[in-house]
Amino acid sequence: MPKLTIDNLEVTVPEGINVLEAARELDIIIPHFCYHEALGSVGSCRLCAMMFVDGPVKGLQMACMIQAQDGMVVSSTDPDAIELREHVIEWAMTNHPHDCPVCDEGGECQLQEMTVAGGHGVRRYSGKKCTFTNQNLGPFVQQEMNRCITCYRCVRTYRDYCGGTDYGVFGSRNRIQYARFREGALESPFSGNIIDACPTGVLTSKPFRFKTRLWDLQEAPSICPHCSLGCATVPGGRYREVQRVKAGINRETNGFFICDRGRFGYDHVNHPERPRQGRLDGQPVTVNAALLAAREQVTAIASKHGPDSVAFLGSSRSSFEASVLLHDWAKATGSQQLVFEAHQGRDRAARTLTAQLGKHVRSQEELRQSDLVILFGADPLAEGPMLALAIRQAVRNGGKVVVIDPRPVELPCAASYLPLSPEKLPEVLVALGKKDFNAFEADERVLLESLVEQLKSAQRPVLIGGADLLGGKGVQALCAAAEKFTSDERSVGVITLLAGPNSYGGALLAGDGPDFDSILDAVQEGTVRALVCLESDPFREARDPARAHAALGHLELLVSFDSTPNLAAQRADIFLPTRANAEMAGSYVNNEGRLQAFMPVIDPGVPIRETGAGNHPPREFFQITPGSSPEADWLLLAGLLERELDLVGLRESIEKDHPPFAGLSSIAAETTGVRLTAQGTLPPAEEQELPHAADSEALTLMAITGQIGSCWLAHLSSPLAATEPQPYVILHPELAAELNLAADERARLTTHFGHCHIVIRTDEKMLKSLILVPQLWDTALEGMVPGGMLDCRLEKEAQR
Amino acid sequence: MTEFLPQNQIDSFKAKAAAIAHPHEMIVDLLRAIQLHHGWVPDDGVLLTAATLGVLPIEVEEVATFYDKIFRREVGKRVIHVCDSICCWATGAEMITEHLKKALGIGLGETTTDGIFTLLPTCCLGACGDAPAMMIGFTTHGLLTTEKIDDILQKERAAVAAEIFA
Repeated sequence: MPKLTIDNLEVTVPEGINVLEAARELDIIIPHFCYHEALGSVGSCRLCAMMFVDGPVKGLQMACMIQAQDGMVVSSTDPDAIELREHVIEWAMTNHPHDCPVCDEGGECQLQEMTVAGGHGVRRYSGKKCTFTNQNLGPFVQQEMNRCITCYRCVRTYRDYCGGTDYGVFGSRNRIQYARFREGALESPFSGNIIDACPTGVLTSKPFRFKTRLWDLQEAPSICPHCSLGCATVPGGRYREVQRVKAGINRETNGFFICDRGRFGYDHVNHPERPRQGRLDGQPVTVNAALLAAREQVTAIASKHGPDSVAFLGSSRSSFEASVLLHDWAKATGSQQLVFEAHQGRDRAARTLTAQLGKHVRSQEELRQSDLVILFGADPLAEGPMLALAIRQAVRNGGKVVVIDPRPVELPCAASYLPLSPEKLPEVLVALGKKDFNAFEADERVLLESLVEQLKSAQRPVLIGGADLLGGKGVQALCAAAEKFTSDERSVGVITLLAGPNSYGGALLAGDGPDFDSILDAVQEGTVRALVCLESDPFREARDPARAHAALGHLELLVSFDSTPNLAAQRADIFLPTRANAEMAGSYVNNEGRLQAFMPVIDPGVPIRETGAGNHPPREFFQITPGSSPEADWLLLAGLLERELDLVGLRESIEKDHPPFAGLSSIAAETTGVRLTAQGTLPPAEEQELPHAADSEALTLMAITGQIGSCWLAHLSSPLAATEPQPYVILHPELAAELNLAADERARLTTHFGHCHIVIRTDEKMLKSLILVPQLWDTALEGMVPGGMLDCRLEKEAQR
Repeated sequence: MTEFLPQNQIDSFKAKAAAIAHPHEMIVDLLRAIQLHHGWVPDDGVLLTAATLGVLPIEVEEVATFYDKIFRREVGKRVIHVCDSICCWATGAEMITEHLKKALGIGLGETTTDGIFTLLPTCCLGACGDAPAMMIGFTTHGLLTTEKIDDILQKERAAVAAEIFA
């Protein structure tokens, strides 16, 4: 550990860090642009000059390029260093338009801060400024090239870190321009990160443009609600609406970046059709009245027909606290009918993972350091985009990636592919353990045999699975394979992509209770008469929506707690409006069992832009904010169960009742979170799979999660909804040729749901025998619940 | 469709690119071949280069725009690069440039209406010993005077005429 002196203060720092970072340990901030913790040092902006007075390095040097070494004496206040920084910033500012008053970056502009910090106050340059033509970079990013100081951070973020291929740097000297080859929308699913990376107003958020001055924006540390990875975010809100999200920093999970789904998927909070009022038998009532009715009617049914006549359906998007309270409610009622995921495969995958992950648990940060990543039925860009970025960092660090999947899994890095049918995924995991590949084709065998060798020799291997395709059986096989290849020296890691931000937390609470398919059977038979849905939509999330619709029609009582306009909320006898994640404090348990807290950004209320609509403000006056009745899911349940109504008290009491959740009362937002040691329970034995492909003439279709359009919350967000594709299917070009179809052509897809019109996409990386159909909300493909297999026909559209 | 490069040349570039570890090294060569054949490199020339070498269009464009001797806009049959760096400036480059502008009737970055000359400023040509200097095609002309320039322009004009009638 080198010990050095910076500005007369001694500091001992970890091996391998640079002097700029060492100074930061002493809270001495050296002005800089190009240095970024995740992107590293390149020494190109020339701003972080420090005087090395004594020790192994001497003279005026760029602090970010010099490794901290023992005996260094460094000064940040040396007159030469100060003068150099002054000149560098003056030179960086020569072409800058000084349009701060109209710039969207104003209020969080690093250039502004560094200009002041660098001591540049009066402009001396009186020559002509270089000006540029901006490009339209699509719906997310606004470009204003004239403000650029050519720090290269956007290109290093977009190309190097995120693996984008359509944005670069053109020209030389003062003609340097960052742009696409041709104007058009940025293609990377991580494009929004260049907004955070840009130190000034060149790249700003298009949906957030002209909305709020940054000093008027309310912000709080939060956790992204869009997938199971639990990335840190900082949502910002004003005028009773969430207006933007930027990346938070959590070195164990997302690092410094987030995906576009997380960044632009905030607008569900402001959705015009969001239910904001309590409802009892179709009539609007207060939240209190609805709560009392819910408690009364649930108790009445339970005492009349027995405790198991009431079923409780939690969800992966509820807070962990609310999930615990739902569990406690079921227990207090005496009901065994409790499950936290309507989708059977996802439920089983999550529960199996919590039971068997153990020492194989890996964080995104550990994945970034991995030297061998094997994906079994996992499509990160669809099921948890930031995982794809972590895989890319593993590749940049020298790691290898193998994808075993029926889908053409797209990654922002190089990978080898082995297309296998979904049924074969658990088989291949077992076969790898036994090194017995007789059931596989010759070319498959070659790859699998080499995989065994790679797995044996890798130092930090990680196996990645996805809940959609693996289900309980697959995740069990995944953990068993990891165990098999674990040696005394190192263990094999496992990461599984689950359905939502609290899938793991729900699974920990589900125990060996029934899955939702068996609850549906009980509803159909009439033994379950009441269903309480906590932020879940059994009509559309169950494995077979048609069956769910038929069964749920028999219910005597449907209670729904929700913050989105889903079918359960619309059809509920008793409805209770909940707050969205950005409107409440709470916690989620991510897919590695990491418990993380989030804080409220704004209070709920109908956004002001909606009531004003550009006209005169409404002339009616109210004592309370319109649309402000939603309450936090845990607060509603705590009220109903007469539990603690403050989060601190509630967390302490949960900890007392549930010792495995120790640590809950001490979590804080903006930390790396706490990895729970609690272990889950395996779900009950699986029933027979749904039969499929019975008709040998028919083709088999597999429903998948699409990159865009399959995430419910994202679908309710206008910036993302605008990018949703037309219904499409993906098939192998050979199968397309057999069916006399070509890419981009329109065709007719027939399933037992009926006919629909789709666009053909082809991909060579996928399995030849399958047709992949994404679940797309509010289209004909809405019923395509991921992981499901159906018979289908696919024909050329009749010529008109 | 416009031919940016004869097929046999494209094939030979393709074969070379496939045989080396870093096909990016050949971006400049291929862009110059296209420029020699077509006079300048249009967008489709960038795309052709990317497809031929198996690299990204953006990577080709980054190289193409970095070098001022790769023309991404249509230029005249003769491009005059007049040096504005320190030695030439000290020996009267401003006067030389003014004379060129007047003789051709165009400003810097412009092309004569007859499509023969394009006038561009350039950084050092490495001809400091012969300053002031300019370059036309691959020929560097040093120790320039107004008379010498008039002479060079006349000869180039005649050469272009000969090419057209040949």
